[in-house]
Amino acid sequence: MSAPAATFRAARRIDWLAMAALVVVALLAVFALMPGVVAPYDPIALDVVNRLKPPSPAHPFGTDEAGRDIFSRVIYGTRYSMGVALAIVAFAAVFGTLYGVVSGMAPRWLDNLMMRIVDMVFGFPALVLALAISAAIGRGLDSVTLALSLMWWPGFARLVRGEVLRLKTEPHVETARALGLGPVTIMWRHIVPFVMSAVNVRATTDIGYALVAVTALSFLGLGATSPTPEWGLLIRDSRPYFGSAWWYLVFPGGIVMLTATACSLLGDALDARKGA
Amino acid sequence: MSLLSLSGVEKHFRRNSKAPQVRAVDGIDLEVGVGETVGIVGESGCGKSTLARIALRLIDPTAGRVRFDGQDVTEDGIRAMQPVRRRMQAVFQDPLASLNQRMTISQIMSEPFSAHGLKPEGGVEARTRALLENVGLGHIDTGLRPRQFSGGQLQRIAIARALAVEPELIVADEPTSALDPSIQAQIVNLFLQIRRERGVAMLVISHDLDVIGHISDRIVVMYLGQIVEEARAADLLAAPLHPYTQALLSAAPTLKARRARSFRRQILQGDPPNPADAPPGCRFHPRCPLARDRCRSDPPALRTLPDGRRVACHFAPDETLATGQETGRSRLGLGAVAPALRVERRGAK
Repeated sequence: MSAPAATFRAARRIDWLAMAALVVVALLAVFALMPGVVAPYDPIALDVVNRLKPPSPAHPFGTDEAGRDIFSRVIYGTRYSMGVALAIVAFAAVFGTLYGVVSGMAPRWLDNLMMRIVDMVFGFPALVLALAISAAIGRGLDSVTLALSLMWWPGFARLVRGEVLRLKTEPHVETARALGLGPVTIMWRHIVPFVMSAVNVRATTDIGYALVAVTALSFLGLGATSPTPEWGLLIRDSRPYFGSAWWYLVFPGGIVMLTATACSLLGDALDARKGA
Repeated sequence: MSLLSLSGVEKHFRRNSKAPQVRAVDGIDLEVGVGETVGIVGESGCGKSTLARIALRLIDPTAGRVRFDGQDVTEDGIRAMQPVRRRMQAVFQDPLASLNQRMTISQIMSEPFSAHGLKPEGGVEARTRALLENVGLGHIDTGLRPRQFSGGQLQRIAIARALAVEPELIVADEPTSALDPSIQAQIVNLFLQIRRERGVAMLVISHDLDVIGHISDRIVVMYLGQIVEEARAADLLAAPLHPYTQALLSAAPTLKARRARSFRRQILQGDPPNPADAPPGCRFHPRCPLARDRCRSDPPALRTLPDGRRVACHFAPDETLATGQETGRSRLGLGAVAPALRVERRGAK
């Protein structure tokens, strides 16, 4: 009697950490979709009188060296940083899933070949690729998106292939084969739906990691260009003033950390629900 | 004319290139006639499920041929197998795991029709109803998903689905093992009803001799990847020739044999040996109450007796004493083997 009751309580217990993460992500979505509603100032308008002002009711995150409101810049930056991170993970999840499903279903020689290609991409240093792409098509968020998308999909491909190989021996797939269903039907109806929960968990978590990667590349000068209020670029621009204007580094850095943590926690919460 | 015929079928597994080879199925000849029910019985790990998967062409045999209705299908690819699959359906052990949990019952029931491009008269919906009614589930809501049903109901649904394409053969791998004992009897009765109504041939695999004994026309006993005895069900249950069959029978709790006054309880010692390291000689000798020197070195062949039974034991008699004619003493248990033993001893002197 007690065991089911305990399970019931566990299922009803609210995961406050996950709820907090959800609130953070919801706020970020609002920031990204309608920054003008939330942000009190224009993110790129100069105001030389108010240079490097510490946080105050008028400027909750302070101002930068050109007198721009950092709070407004962070809010407008959501669209760039999160947008790029989302685009990377969306591409990686879709392409990686397709690749992994094909590899897992393919005959062994093709599967081996496809997985060696994945190993090669995995082994390739992201930074070098990003440098090469910036050199070829110019510095900017486009080249960051391209470089990281090309580097990101193998993780999904491996995850999905492993799941497909596991699912292929599941009784319901064996039953489907015995029933006479074709391989394409089996793949779409009896394998892919069962792979998607793992892909969703991975994608949620990866948005946080992709965000960190995007801001890192911008910080290194390979990404967004001034005066785009991209988070990584904000951190890069804050470096000369760290000793005198701590708020310039701390607030953009804090939002990156908060967002990445929120994505990770949401991924964990999804993972926990997957089995239930 | 046999519907399904396996000849010299072997399946060897190897976990990796260094691991020892496991001969899960080691040279099996087996026939299932049109409309016949053949039961395969044996302990866990004796290769009976592997054999079922080979028969269904879900895995490829290492050696041997699989024929369906006279046609060799051993190497047929997905497309060539398609028409054969329509005639040969499967029911597996765990009904919850073998149904796609994200599909509704009506979606699950419509799959066999779409798989083979069939358009049943009156539509899929009506046909589904009729099939479910046939297995005693006429009342269920087909919009629900598998998790909302009991194991017994799900196994009925799995059976109804297997019947949808009107197969000539149903291969059932442990169809009752995941169910409660009270439900097991219902499923056994359902199989009997299906056989009566449709004349479909069945290959039923189970570790449970009670189930096999109730369903089968003919029983095949497997031990460590090989057939040790095969006989018509009535003969095998009345007078098992192989000591392993005798031990299995004595462990079956409800068979009539148990109630016979001359019944001798015989308990198998130990576990079945590791199939990767099968004992030399007769594979059963380490556990056999009759084992003698010859059994330790000389593997007994599967002999066909004059009455058509097959048995692989050095000490089994050459002919079955006609059922019902022998004395109570020799009807069951070791009695049937004992005369042969005496002959053997005389010969040894």
